[in-house]
Amino acid sequence: MRAFEPDGDGSVRAVVEPVEAALLAQLAGQVAGLLAEQRGGAAANLAILRLLPDAYPDDSEASAEFRRFTADELTEKKLRNARILIADCAGAADADGPSTIHLDAASIGAWLRSLTDVRLVLATRLGITEDGDLGPDDDEEEALMLSDVYDWLGFVQDSLVSALED
Amino acid sequence: MTLTAESVDTSAQAALDSPWVTIVWNDPVNLMSYVAWVFRSYFGFSRDEAEIRMLRVHNDGRAVVATGSREEMERHVEAMHDFGLWATLTKADA
Repeated sequence: MRAFEPDGDGSVRAVVEPVEAALLAQLAGQVAGLLAEQRGGAAANLAILRLLPDAYPDDSEASAEFRRFTADELTEKKLRNARILIADCAGAADADGPSTIHLDAASIGAWLRSLTDVRLVLATRLGITEDGDLGPDDDEEEALMLSDVYDWLGFVQDSLVSALED
Repeated sequence: MTLTAESVDTSAQAALDSPWVTIVWNDPVNLMSYVAWVFRSYFGFSRDEAEIRMLRVHNDGRAVVATGSREEMERHVEAMHDFGLWATLTKADA
């Protein structure tokens, strides 16, 4: 995948391989699945706690109250963002070769948020909790692959932000 | 400089009205470029102001990004969570 480029009128475009588009859609789908499973419940695991963090660091009661009032709508927004990203990737994932994805302003907002959600969830899986953490120190193939995917998602997101600044 | 009774009252009132702050915390996941973009697009900070606040988050571990009523700060925190940033609110004097 090449970096995103401005496409006029606040839109951006990037050329992606089918496998890259499929991977983006798959990851966004997994995070959406995680969010959908947790809908209406308390923040039960680390990944959900990162997607919907406590609002009051020293007050668990106020945090629970905040969560009761905001979690449903935030979850719906995150699910909608994931669905937009998945829809934007569908054509490119099914293409025979590299193709160009165009994102309008609404899609850009959804992509930036959805990419963030995916990276937050991957980071909890990889044990990245502090600046400078590079991910797993074992060399299990799956963890290494996940770590590469995490870095690549950072590239995709950074190039998207850069394209907005040009 | 002297303080009139009136101006004391005004600042006391302001303290009552604005005792909360929104804090964005450093995390190892969110990109510096993205955090600065969020600050610009949501809070309307200038490019320089967004950069300064983003660097404060990065270097000091946290930065205050807004001050106001508790309800306002809850709205900002919810918006930051929508962006995937780690934000909390607290009393300004805490």
